[in-house]
Order: sequence, then C-alpha cells, then structure tokens
Amino acid sequence: MSDALIALREALLATPLSSTALTLAAYLAALWAVERLGRPSWCPAVLLAALLVAAILWGLSIDFADYRRGADWLMLLLGPATVALGVPLYQQLHHIRALWKPLALSLPPAAALASCYSLALAWALGASPEVLASLAPKSVTAPIALGIVEELGGSVPLLMGGLLITGVMATLAVRLLGPALGIRDHRILGFALGVNGHAVGTVRAFEMSPSAGAFASLGMSLTGILTALCLPLAWRLLGL
Amino acid sequence: MIAVLRGFLWLTGVWLAGETLVVLLDLPVSAGVVGMLLMTGLLMLRIGRLDDIAAAGQPLIGLLAMLIMPGVVGVFFIADDFAGQWLAVAVALVIGTLASVLTTLLLMRRCMPAEPAADAPQESLT
Repeated sequence: MSDALIALREALLATPLSSTALTLAAYLAALWAVERLGRPSWCPAVLLAALLVAAILWGLSIDFADYRRGADWLMLLLGPATVALGVPLYQQLHHIRALWKPLALSLPPAAALASCYSLALAWALGASPEVLASLAPKSVTAPIALGIVEELGGSVPLLMGGLLITGVMATLAVRLLGPALGIRDHRILGFALGVNGHAVGTVRAFEMSPSAGAFASLGMSLTGILTALCLPLAWRLLGL
Repeated sequence: MIAVLRGFLWLTGVWLAGETLVVLLDLPVSAGVVGMLLMTGLLMLRIGRLDDIAAAGQPLIGLLAMLIMPGVVGVFFIADDFAGQWLAVAVALVIGTLASVLTTLLLMRRCMPAEPAADAPQESLT
C-alpha cells in the first residue's frame, strides 16, 4: 500500500503539471484573500501566494528544487512576457518625445542611485559579493531583473525577496515623502513610483490616477532598460 | 484566438531574435530586454500588427506577477545560505529605497516643467 503511495508521489512529482497546478491554485487563492483584506499595499498577492506555496511544500516535505523544476515550465513564459513590455513602451513614446529633456536629466541619476545607495549600504555592512549582486537590480521590474542577476551571478531567491521589499518600501516612501516635499504633480509621483518601486509601485500609481500610472510604467521600463544595459558593464569594469 | 496565436508567435520570434543577438554579439544583457527593445523598434517601424501583439502581450503582462512567483518561493528556503548578512540586506533595502525615492522626487521636482493645466492632467491613458 505505502509502496503504491510512494510510487504515486514520485509520478506526480515527475510531471511539471503538479508545480503548475500548485502555482495557479496558490496565486488564485492569494488574489482572493488580498481582495478580501482590501488590497493592503504592504502585502502584494505574490508574497501571500509564495508563502502559501512554501507552506504547502514544507507540509508535504517536497524539495524546493523539485517544485522549481516543474515551475520552470511556467517561468519560460517570462521571455515572451518581457518582450511584450515593448508594447506599452511603444505606446508611451509620445511622453518621451514631449518630455525628453527632464527625463534624460533625471532618469540616469535616479536609476543609478536606486542601485548605488543599497550597494553602498550593504557593502559597508559587510555583505558578500553574491549578496551585492543579488541586491544591485532591486529597483528593476522582475523579468528584467532576473536576466540581470543571472549576468552578475547573484541569487535569484534573494533578488526576489529584495524586489518585493523594495516595491513595498518605495510605495510607502512616496506616500510619506510626496506630501512632505509639497509635490502634488501626479507625473512626478508616478515616475518616482515606477523608477524605485517597479511593478509594485506602478500598480499603486495606477490607483492614484491614469496620468500617474502612465508615468510610473514609463519610469519602470526606462529604469529597467538603462539598468540592464549599464549594470552588467559597470560590474565587469569594477571586476566584481 | 488566431490573433493571440499570431501575437504569441511574434513575441516568441522576437525573443529568439534577441537571444540570437545576445549570443552572436556576446551582449551582457538578457534576451528578454533585447527583445523588448526590438519589439518597440519594430512597432515604431510599423512592422507587425499592434492588435495581434497586444492581444497576446496584454494577458502575459497581466500575469507577470504569477510568472515570477515560483522565484519568490525560493526566498523562504535560503535563510541559512545568507546567515549573518540579513541585517545588511534589510538596511540596504529599507534605507536605500527611502533615500532613492527622496532623490528621485527632488530631481524630478527640479527638472520637470509645470503641468500644462493645473490639476487637470492633459495626457490621457493610452
């Protein structure tokens, strides 16, 4: 009897469909729960869904590597999904044409500092090179950041955790600092949300106004592109 | 439905083109980013039907959070790997993000021209 059960378990773990079903179920459950809680900005659905999956893996004592092997099939879609980000970027081009000067002046330092502040702090507190590589793309939207971290040789799970915390912190920071600095221009608030808080911040910006959302997605794409093009080069030059 | 398939073929094809460039030119950038730039460039040149590509791309972008979720799960299994560095990680993320938001806001307040019409944003959602 127990032999049959072990064989069944083996068979189920061998197919990527188990991981797929688990991922979909956890994500849908998390969406439902987050909706129930009134969409708190400190708890994105992804975080809750990841907690659920982790708890189930732990409860059934399934190896994370086994789950990950199946889920890789799902993550394969990240490739075309990243390419698809070119569509909203194309649709935002009129903003870039109209405001290229302020954008060209503020985007590169903003995107570079988003990475540098954290790197400097982590380095000063004695973080290892692997940790530094995982934190460097922390303000970049996840599909692009994944590609960067592979180039730099960081840890994907650590990057993912960092991305979530960064997104939530950026949302909080804009909400606190915006009024304190007397900034009411939704274009600026949205841009700051997108540059620093990637997708999490962009979702929050779309809740503020369509204009904030448009500038957030613009800031998010431009930060992603700029970081993806410059960070691996800078890393090579620094010899890290 | 056929439109979605056509769009998905475009997205996959452009990703493959991106991967080709990355491998051939030894670019330190991921194929997805190169593909995204190629996609924008193609659309600017009016190559590829925007409707088809958007039909496949919109749902994929909407599902991005779910697609990265398996990666997030890993964070709960690495606690031991980075023992002793969690303080550095936490400080870097929390203080670093606060500082960078502050910088962005100050920079943008400096550089951005005033809105065309106060409290009535002109730009419509595309």
